[in-house]
Amino acid sequence: MTTTTAPVQTPPRTETRAGRGNALARQVLAYVVAVLMAFVVAGIIIAALGHNPFDAYRAIVTTSFKSGFGLVETVHKWVPLVLLALAFTIPLAAGKYNIGGEGQLLVGATASAAAGILLADLPIYVLLPLVLVCGVLAGAVFAWVAAWLMDRFGINEILSTVLLNFVSFGIVDYVASEVWSDPAAGHPTTIPIGEGGLLPLVGRPPMHLGVLLAVLVAAAVVVVMRRSVPGFELRAVGANARAAQVHGIRVGRVAVGSLVVGGALAGLAGAIEVAGVHGKLIEGMQSNYLLLGIIIGLIARGNALAVPFVAFGIAVLEVGSSAMQRSAGVPSEMVLIVEALILLFLLFSDVVGARLRRSSR
Amino acid sequence: MNEVTSFLQLVVTAMVPFILAAQGTMIAGRAGVFNVAQEGLMMLGASVGFLVSLTFGGNLVGLVVAGLGGGLFGWFLGWVTTRFRLDQFVIGLALFFAAAGLASLLYKVVIGVTLQPPLIPTLDDLSVPGLSAIPLVGPVLFQQSAMVYFAFLLSGGLYWLLYKTNHGLKLRSVGENPKAADSLGVNVARTRIWCSAAGGALMALAGAYLPMTYTGTYTEGMVAGRGWLAIALAFFGGWRPQYILAGSAFFAGMEVLALRVQVGGLDVPHQFISMLPYVATLLVMMFALRWARIPAFLGRNYDRESRTSH
Repeated sequence: MTTTTAPVQTPPRTETRAGRGNALARQVLAYVVAVLMAFVVAGIIIAALGHNPFDAYRAIVTTSFKSGFGLVETVHKWVPLVLLALAFTIPLAAGKYNIGGEGQLLVGATASAAAGILLADLPIYVLLPLVLVCGVLAGAVFAWVAAWLMDRFGINEILSTVLLNFVSFGIVDYVASEVWSDPAAGHPTTIPIGEGGLLPLVGRPPMHLGVLLAVLVAAAVVVVMRRSVPGFELRAVGANARAAQVHGIRVGRVAVGSLVVGGALAGLAGAIEVAGVHGKLIEGMQSNYLLLGIIIGLIARGNALAVPFVAFGIAVLEVGSSAMQRSAGVPSEMVLIVEALILLFLLFSDVVGARLRRSSR
Repeated sequence: MNEVTSFLQLVVTAMVPFILAAQGTMIAGRAGVFNVAQEGLMMLGASVGFLVSLTFGGNLVGLVVAGLGGGLFGWFLGWVTTRFRLDQFVIGLALFFAAAGLASLLYKVVIGVTLQPPLIPTLDDLSVPGLSAIPLVGPVLFQQSAMVYFAFLLSGGLYWLLYKTNHGLKLRSVGENPKAADSLGVNVARTRIWCSAAGGALMALAGAYLPMTYTGTYTEGMVAGRGWLAIALAFFGGWRPQYILAGSAFFAGMEVLALRVQVGGLDVPHQFISMLPYVATLLVMMFALRWARIPAFLGRNYDRESRTSH
């Protein structure tokens, strides 16, 4: 769609080192204020519901850090969140909205499970890479379908990616309840993948090595976005597609490529969920990672370097939300509202910040 | 009642959420506000409509409160995108999360977790005297609930408003060329805000229709992508109320067909049948969408002080 406005507002580039420091300080301040205000407003809602907001927040903030188990759970949750957030952020840099991370994750997970089940006897140094690569490729192909519909037929990418999510639900359900169904599970689930397809666990309590993979991928994305020609082309298309085209960048190809790379990352998230967390394909394993990935990408304002940190914060909130429901009695959906409020206040802080700067000049 | 009649009757029943949500998308879009919160607003409408109907007894009050809630969200979208010119997609997505979270939250707060969810009575069928006796057409079109008549009349009313009145002309001009509209004295911000509010209200009504027609209760995932399909329908219908009405018959037909084939026990795995509405939508958009024209300022904020017209 050509009517998309630039989603990411880059702050004016200030030349001096001190100016840059000020800009960074302003941004950090905006985050702090937005988070605080979101917690205050949500606290009022919690109090209105007849619960103690301080108990609720204590449960949210401390669960992840109270025990090693809490921390590992948080880090395991962080992996799909950061990958799905990047799957949303990379196309966003080119001005495209990938709302299909869920489908790309599920198709990636399905392909990984298929490889892990069909070739279950292979040794780990063959099977594990195969499982991961299958997930990545399947996610990329699934995203490419949406990108192709966008590029060839002019279908809005929001729609094509979203509609393919629903197609992926059918695929997962079919594979998990008809093809390799585990009848003992009582829920559409496949039989376990081969031992060799599982990500090795390290430490105590055990943490799977997909975490390391996600860290590497996130770092690589930052480097590519900032320091490489494709990354530059991507940002150029997002900033001004027409100017980019005039300067010889193939706008259509860049947009398609950004969606395909995003799909590959979402597919990797699916593969890691299968190989690291569940060891099989389970219907509904995508949880609400799509929504959270989008929220993280938007809160990070499309900045790939900020994504891992924001994702960690959201992972803490998510892990804490069930503890909050248990101990303080506040429904866990409250966390989704907190996250939406953070985003809204962050957007408003731009408006307020611009006013303040104008009036101080 | 024969097979064809009952099939068509189900299709008309299933058309209503598509009509309401897509007309809501259309009316906001024609003024230039691209709402992408349909799915969340429908969840919120379903939850609020169910809870209010349950608490106060009577579906009308549930519909009204759900509509007001959706209208508030739509108004907010219109307000922040005109007053502060924040990005429409980003705000829309944020509202989607907030509405989806609120829908489940309200249900949990009021009902809690129960094995046996409480039920509200579904909407009664109202037969139109005389007309309902016509063979085929009578049972299909004139033995339906009040919301069906409302959705059809609304579509007609919107057509009349947009194309036969001065207000409609101004409304369309805001979505096509706000600068020109502004220079002729049309209040661009106010038009956008209230169109967006009306759109949000219609989306929430579309959601509230679901528990009141199908299940009698709110369940998570009951919207099942209808909100996203409504956006597709708005594009598919070329942002014109009459084609949206026609298009919703196609979307509803796909939905009913998928259910029918599942029950009918065809030799195709039901999971593939359940993909049918979404795949069919994509196929139709591939081949039938070429002619569709979208409002020129759809999704773009109007800055009065900008020097360029675009």
